[in-house]
Amino acid sequence: MNATYKMAQIHMLAISMLALTFFGCAPDDFQKLDERKWQLTWSDDFNGNAGQLPDAAKWTYDIGTGQGGWGNQELQSYTDSPDNVSLDGQGNLIITARRNGNSFTSARINTKGLFTQQYGRFEARLKTPYGPGIWPAFWMLGANIETVNWPQCGEIDIMELRGQEPYIIHGTLHGPGYSGGNPITKGFALTDARFDTEFHLFAVEWSKDKIDFFVDDFLYQRIERGDAPGEWVYDQPFFMILNVAVGGNYVGFPTDGTPFPQKMTIDYVRVYESAN
Amino acid sequence: MKKYNFTFLIKSLPFGMLFLFLAACQRDNEDLSPVTFPTNPEVFIEGFSPGLNYAAFGGSVPTAFDVDTEVTYNNTSQTSMRFEVPDAGDPRGAYAGGSYFTDVPRDLSGYDALTFWAKASQPANIDVVGFGNDLGASKYLATISGLPVTTNWQKFIIPIPDPSKLTAERGMFLYSEGPENGRGYTFWIDELKFEKLGTIAHPEFAILNGEEQTETSFVGVTKNIGGLSSTYNLPSGINQTVNIAPAYFEFASSNPSIATVNESGVVTVAGGPGSAEITATVGGVTAKGALTLLSVGDFQSAPVPSRDAANVISIFSDAYANVPVNYYNGYWAPFQTTQSADFTVGGDDILHYTNFNFVGIEFSSPVINASSMTHLHVDIYIPNALPATAQFKIEVVDFGTGGTGAFTRAIPAAQSQQWISLDIPFTNFAGLSNRSNLAQIIFVDDSNNISSFFADNVYLYNNGTPPAAPTTAAPTPTHPAGGVIAVFSEAYSTIAGTDLNPNWGQATVVTQTPIQGNNTLKYAGLNYQGIQLGSPQNVSAMNFLHLDFWTANSTSLKVYIISPGPVETPFTLTVPTAGWSSIDIPLSAFAPVNLSDVIQLKFDGNGDIFLDNIYFRN
Repeated sequence: MNATYKMAQIHMLAISMLALTFFGCAPDDFQKLDERKWQLTWSDDFNGNAGQLPDAAKWTYDIGTGQGGWGNQELQSYTDSPDNVSLDGQGNLIITARRNGNSFTSARINTKGLFTQQYGRFEARLKTPYGPGIWPAFWMLGANIETVNWPQCGEIDIMELRGQEPYIIHGTLHGPGYSGGNPITKGFALTDARFDTEFHLFAVEWSKDKIDFFVDDFLYQRIERGDAPGEWVYDQPFFMILNVAVGGNYVGFPTDGTPFPQKMTIDYVRVYESAN
Repeated sequence: MKKYNFTFLIKSLPFGMLFLFLAACQRDNEDLSPVTFPTNPEVFIEGFSPGLNYAAFGGSVPTAFDVDTEVTYNNTSQTSMRFEVPDAGDPRGAYAGGSYFTDVPRDLSGYDALTFWAKASQPANIDVVGFGNDLGASKYLATISGLPVTTNWQKFIIPIPDPSKLTAERGMFLYSEGPENGRGYTFWIDELKFEKLGTIAHPEFAILNGEEQTETSFVGVTKNIGGLSSTYNLPSGINQTVNIAPAYFEFASSNPSIATVNESGVVTVAGGPGSAEITATVGGVTAKGALTLLSVGDFQSAPVPSRDAANVISIFSDAYANVPVNYYNGYWAPFQTTQSADFTVGGDDILHYTNFNFVGIEFSSPVINASSMTHLHVDIYIPNALPATAQFKIEVVDFGTGGTGAFTRAIPAAQSQQWISLDIPFTNFAGLSNRSNLAQIIFVDDSNNISSFFADNVYLYNNGTPPAAPTTAAPTPTHPAGGVIAVFSEAYSTIAGTDLNPNWGQATVVTQTPIQGNNTLKYAGLNYQGIQLGSPQNVSAMNFLHLDFWTANSTSLKVYIISPGPVETPFTLTVPTAGWSSIDIPLSAFAPVNLSDVIQLKFDGNGDIFLDNIYFRN
């Protein structure tokens, strides 16, 4: 499995270079990153029995419909039921969005109050769901959100995908003056493959002066302190979130043709700090 | 060929090495170079691609397709394909349809979809588009039904179910579209080509529409596996279902000694008793749906009918010529669940009704005049064990004035899994008043526990023995009421107070029975029988005694009228009768009875007698 995946990565690299040309933004030496040493600080490999909820020492839940569909007019109601979030017994966590007539259930888990970190590498290896109106994400919010509110707390979206474009992911920063429909964002597309058919590794490397966005260790976006059109609010600890939303401003409504249930399969989440 | 391999290697080294390795392995078996075909993906870009031909389908407008130089996709090409769908009733043809095929096959195994751009002069659903029609066996036919087009150019994708199969394909494209709500319109297709998209995902395949079906069967039964489809998730995230030919599937039987399945998906039950599960895969992916055959062994035929064809009107039987039948299953919406899975075994056609609740057979063009028939015959076989006694109801429907008759037969659980021959007299169909315009037979599961049954030898017959009772009412009298003194009739008012069964010590059993709704007097086991008039009658102004009488078994019957004394005179009636006999007996025949003071009537003789319309008239 591991070997196969490495081959796939090699394959991915070639495609990524094509994508780079397509989005046309960076010089060839963009990939020549400084050598980094990472020290693992937190991880979840999602080992356990099928049907179990994820480790309560690492994850907590957002429940219900939030305010205004979690601020985005999302349609789903989040639960902590194994029907919506559970281990598969094969080392993966599955978040499942389900349709029941005209209503939807799904899950959104986070590390708020359990684990936060300022700077470092945050990565998840996962396979996305798909279909119009399906909105999976691996993202982070500033831990001070309760005191300063959003978007002053800052938001780092490591991976978001619109289910009607299962071959494009987006990496995004929301902060004061550049949030909602006007964030700093960039897409990364596969030209002859999709993010819902095989596992891919999504990561950010976050330091004092910049945040780098990666797919399968290919750097597709760098946002530096000076790039932000507003205040740079990424000098404090953030917590992580994994969710699958249904509907909402970003993705639109699911259609009659959207297949349900939809699953996001997460192999692992790992966090590192710089050991340089 | 060498040049192609070289290019391939440069592009994708790891995969290319695999390819070489496999090719080397296979070399041992194939000393001769395999025939390879062009891989040209283009079907219609700037006009016909090399080697492409067009043929219109039979019955379609031959000129429906043309090359358009004005309306093209995005102005990127000089031409597009234009299709003019005719109005309903167009004398040139009923629809637009045809196939694009090549003389030399193409190797399409490197692609995963047929794609094109399309728009129309109005929103419409194109009935069928696809590929794989080579005007021959069309082995790898793959089609989409009801393709929704709008007035804007849109890109459409038809996923190839298993590209590895298409190494020598000649059918590049096909279409078929009829009028929309009776009216014709125009649609255009452009940039028609095969592509390797890589963004078609999550293939699912289905046989039997993805259902798990179970059927009881017999040695020799053959059955087609239908409901074949593939579903892919398109780059837009929505699923697209493609109807595909059997050749894309590899069918398998779990127990070939019980049932085999060939590459066309035709299942043949080979042995039994025992069971076999038929499943399928496409390119190693298991298809949804399966058929479990429960073979009970050699087929047990229904008893062969032996009645003379001259006395039979056959609706479904291999023993007789059947009359025209509109259908053996009306699929009556919305409540009918019954499906048909008719089969032929050893040349014997069998009706097989599955998922049974009710089902109708109609023979209304023309209807059947069954007046001379006495019985309905049907052989039924319930292949699954019954959990309890079943109530099998048969209804017969007359489209004239006869109405609907119903008969229910209880079938004990022990009578499942064997043929049951039902011979039902028409007189047992309650509610059927006549059968001169018979048009339907309806089978109903009145106990809700008969999941399926076979039927054979559905026919009407005349059993050749006289019926024990009239099947039709006595003729309605036409004499004016003013010239009638009636004793027994529904056509006239009768003498008040008349006793139809006075106790004279007779053995005769007297009843009144409705025949086609007409009250009729019945004498069973006649020795003698009197009628005591309610008051003495002066019938001297009358000329005749009228009687309608019917008997199948009497050999002696006399009627008397009686005046005080008693003075009585018999009149001998001709028996048995052929249907109803109507007689007007001159009253002079009863001399010396005093016609001004008639007090009683009397019958004697033997047998079972039906009487009606007993009256004096002038």
